[in-house]
Amino acid sequence: MAASVCRVGSTVGRSLVKSRSPILLSLRRGQASVSYAQSLLGAPETRLTALDNGLRIASEETGQATCTVGLWISVGSRYEREKNNGAGFFLEHMAFKGTKKHPQSALEQQVESMGAHLSAYTSREHTAYYIKALSKDLPKAVELLSEVVQSCSLNEADIEQQRGVVLRELEEVESNLQEVCLDLLHATAYQGTPLGHRTQQNLTRHDLVDYINSHYKAPRMVLAAAGGVNHEELVGLATDHLSGLSFEYEGDAVPVLSPCRFTGSEIRMRDDALPLAHIAIAVEGASAASPDIIPLMVANAIIGSYDLTYGGGKHLSSRLARLSVEENLCHSFQAFHSAYSDTGLLGIHFVTDRNNIDDMMHWSQNAWMNLCTTVTESDVARGKNALKAALVGQLNGTTPVCDDIGRHILNYGRRIPLAEWDARIDAVTPKIVRDICSKYIYDKCPAVAAVGPIEQLSDYNRVRSAMYWLRF
Amino acid sequence: MMSVAARSGAFFPYMQATAFAVPGPLKALVPGVVIKGDQILLNPKKTFLCRESLSGQSAKTGPAVTVSINGNGGVRFAHTDIRVPDFSDYRRPEVLDPNKSSQDSSEARRAFSYLLTGAATVVSIYAAKTVVTQFVSSMSASADVLAMSKIEIKLSDIPEGKNMTFKWRGKPLFVRHRTEKEIAAEAAVNLMELRDPQHDKDRVINPTWVIVLGVCTHLGCVPIANAGDFGGYYCPCHGSHYDASGRIRKGPAPLNLEVPYYEFADDDTVMVG
Repeated sequence: MAASVCRVGSTVGRSLVKSRSPILLSLRRGQASVSYAQSLLGAPETRLTALDNGLRIASEETGQATCTVGLWISVGSRYEREKNNGAGFFLEHMAFKGTKKHPQSALEQQVESMGAHLSAYTSREHTAYYIKALSKDLPKAVELLSEVVQSCSLNEADIEQQRGVVLRELEEVESNLQEVCLDLLHATAYQGTPLGHRTQQNLTRHDLVDYINSHYKAPRMVLAAAGGVNHEELVGLATDHLSGLSFEYEGDAVPVLSPCRFTGSEIRMRDDALPLAHIAIAVEGASAASPDIIPLMVANAIIGSYDLTYGGGKHLSSRLARLSVEENLCHSFQAFHSAYSDTGLLGIHFVTDRNNIDDMMHWSQNAWMNLCTTVTESDVARGKNALKAALVGQLNGTTPVCDDIGRHILNYGRRIPLAEWDARIDAVTPKIVRDICSKYIYDKCPAVAAVGPIEQLSDYNRVRSAMYWLRF
Repeated sequence: MMSVAARSGAFFPYMQATAFAVPGPLKALVPGVVIKGDQILLNPKKTFLCRESLSGQSAKTGPAVTVSINGNGGVRFAHTDIRVPDFSDYRRPEVLDPNKSSQDSSEARRAFSYLLTGAATVVSIYAAKTVVTQFVSSMSASADVLAMSKIEIKLSDIPEGKNMTFKWRGKPLFVRHRTEKEIAAEAAVNLMELRDPQHDKDRVINPTWVIVLGVCTHLGCVPIANAGDFGGYYCPCHGSHYDASGRIRKGPAPLNLEVPYYEFADDDTVMVG
């Protein structure tokens, strides 16, 4: 009966809208203006060009008034050696302290007067510098970006001052236990390899210059833009400002990324004074360019995420979330997959109090075993829909789109359009999910990282035993 | 910690104030002076985990190191200071190289572990079974009791033509040293005439010796040796006649005298049972 009321209501609404009655146009606001299929096909094509020095330029033109333009560089903490550990992070801080042409105040003034935002981030395999500005300020933005990357001033006084800031930031990270937990997870899972590196502090100007010279090379960089940008104009600007980027390595020492060994292991930082325990368990997952990524992402969508603010209660569709509510298992959990160029971490991270750790770990691993053995058609359908919605939903603005472009070009060499993601996701069947999950999860040694009041977390051998079922 | 403070009574207020805040990161102090002596029990070159040697290790400023008598003592590291130890001593050779993916060898390593576990399980189950059967079989008859079920007979004590009776398993056992004439006579008997047809060679291992149970197969009396019409045994209860091979020839008994299991240990000794 409710359904029929809704049907009547919507037909009435539609007929009123067709008659263009101004008062009732507001009824249209709640409905999507573009269907999902239309949004897949309607996205403008990402255009890709390369300069002579190897720099790639990619942009998606959507005709908006604002744009985001940035440089994505395939360098990160993974490329650092023991002695220059932390150089990338430090450099990111130094980047906005002035260039040879614009000292710090002048640089800031330039950016502020445009009303733009200049930001940067570094991760284990990528570094990005990007500006969010008005579309008409694109030339200035590209010029500033090229200066920041090519002619960073790096004077000694600033370095010393920034050292303090970096230390303070590291201290602040200590209080973000999720970051600490995931950092420790990488440290133990990739122990002895560059992906598990820790950050060092006593870096000098020489180290930073060395870092720039050995890694900021044109073939490893992408100039990405999204918004109201014109591709030809962008290419022209890049030719003007960025063709000076070098593409040769000193001594022909091209840094080659060697594979990183994953070690099934654990690290426990027990501190009973903390109120909540953060625990992460992960197995080695697929690399970014592997075709197994899609089934693994669907599998993660089936497990999903949860935190106390979710209102679904025991009607949440993810089984683990439903159990978390019914049995009060945790404060939050998320299934994650960090993909790097040749390896990845597929895992679950959860936050819980000191008396529910054992149960939560048991049910999390149970969820993994379900994926490997008994996942059903309806689970997979739900996971696929959730994944598609997430992929489309996160491209909500020029900056996420630009980031997407930059990362895709670095990981895959091209931008993977939404339609392709959609097709690949549709091709996933329950059998594929079971096979792929068994390949990566079943009877493998996990890496476990735990921070907080973790006495209840059982021994590694018990955790390892829960990675298979005797019934299979 | 609290109990120390309580027990120290008057000294309690003074005991609290001994937490050291060590300032400044990255200022390592030189560890203690090496005193030359004949025997150095501790290796001074190895850094101790003490306030001095740890003071430069944490990147955190402020009270990163605390030492006190009745409070917590320790060094608070930033999580980035923690180095995962090198476990190369314990690694299998396939995973020693940090630049090689561990996935390639994971099948092989797992197969080896499971094979070893499987073999150990089989061996343990067998050992457990052996232990259990030994304990359970200890409840069965002991050796001295079992020994009573056998009898060893010295045959040289029995002269030719004579029959000797032994008590065996509560029943009489007849051991008869037969003469050549008796042997030939018994072998020549026509099986058609016998109530319970059995050839003599089926009833004896060595024809010189006949070993039978001295229990009449009619109603269980003990036959008399060297009596009866057939040169063998005669049961006085109901008149059953047995021959020199213990076979029934005349009388009410239905079957021949029972031949027990026996072995000749050597020419002179026989073990019955």
